[in-house]
Amino acid sequence: MAGVSLQDRAWSPYLAGIVIGLLQVPAFLLVETALGASSSYVTVGGLLASLVDPAIVQIDYVARHLTATGKNWWQVALVAGIAVGAFASMRLSGARRHAISPAWGRALASRSPGVRYAVAFVGGFIMLFGARLADGCTSGHGLSGVAQLAVSSTVAVAAMFTGGIVTALLLRRV
Amino acid sequence: MSLAHYILIGLTMGVVFGFALEKSRVFEPGIIVGQMQLRNFIMLKVFLTAVATGAVVLAVMHGFGFVKLAPKPTLYGADIIGGLVLGAGIALAGACPGTVMAQVGVGYRDALVTLLGGIGGAIAYGYAEPTLKPMLLTDGPGKITFADLAGAPYWILALGLAATLVAILYGLETWRPWKSEVGRDVDGLTDR
Repeated sequence: MAGVSLQDRAWSPYLAGIVIGLLQVPAFLLVETALGASSSYVTVGGLLASLVDPAIVQIDYVARHLTATGKNWWQVALVAGIAVGAFASMRLSGARRHAISPAWGRALASRSPGVRYAVAFVGGFIMLFGARLADGCTSGHGLSGVAQLAVSSTVAVAAMFTGGIVTALLLRRV
Repeated sequence: MSLAHYILIGLTMGVVFGFALEKSRVFEPGIIVGQMQLRNFIMLKVFLTAVATGAVVLAVMHGFGFVKLAPKPTLYGADIIGGLVLGAGIALAGACPGTVMAQVGVGYRDALVTLLGGIGGAIAYGYAEPTLKPMLLTDGPGKITFADLAGAPYWILALGLAATLVAILYGLETWRPWKSEVGRDVDGLTDR
């Protein structure tokens, strides 16, 4: 494709979307699973929690995520790899980032890092609690489930955008 | 395959995933919150393109019998309540469970706090799951897909979905060209 380089600051969302969608090929062929991200938080969180409370591994749900299966640790590695890939892309494009996105100064009407950290923690907490209750996130339900025409995922994605839009409208405009 | 193989495959795929997320700019809080405020549509463009691409490759791989599908079980209460809470979290985090790692990778400091909150939320859910199970996580219709409901082959409907999404994306791009949406600092924020 002419004019596309690894050093670009931005790619067309369509090119990036195709690359992400093609990741279903190795996911299904090599790992026999679909692209997903939020289960890995239970694997890592369960492991950390078990250091303080060994009894947590007696909860079936947690134990299932802690077993040394290929799928569990494949997803932890996938999620860790995302940070490495994003870092590489940013370095190649020479983009410089603020410590906190200027979007938050607008959305929260405050430049205080403390305010942003508090909102980020609450946001992250309910994001994963909700994703685990729904049994998937933007990746597992969104990318993979909708592509598989799963009824559960279509319902979950509709709810996700509803919750996101209602909450975002309570923030100031970015 | 050994565990090390799975981890290596995961890391490699993750690097590609993270690279594409960064290049598309969809990991930017300005773009994610902007999407939820219906001001910026880059997130929807990346998302629907990836769904359409996934549907095409799965239609081919499943149609020729290379792979089994893995749809998640339908539990309406959990899907709806979980989805609503997840969506609220995405708006406040300005990230989703995957993109927060891209934010960590590019050095957004608040993303580390989001990640910490996420791990806390997953642990809390682990403790809550046995209590929630009898209320929300039983008695669904199972792992159903729209292909099951329609009684049609998956590959036909998947290709139909992909074609529909391409038409929607064509309309979206005509209405809002992506280059006009990334912004001067490629963070999805327009100048005030």
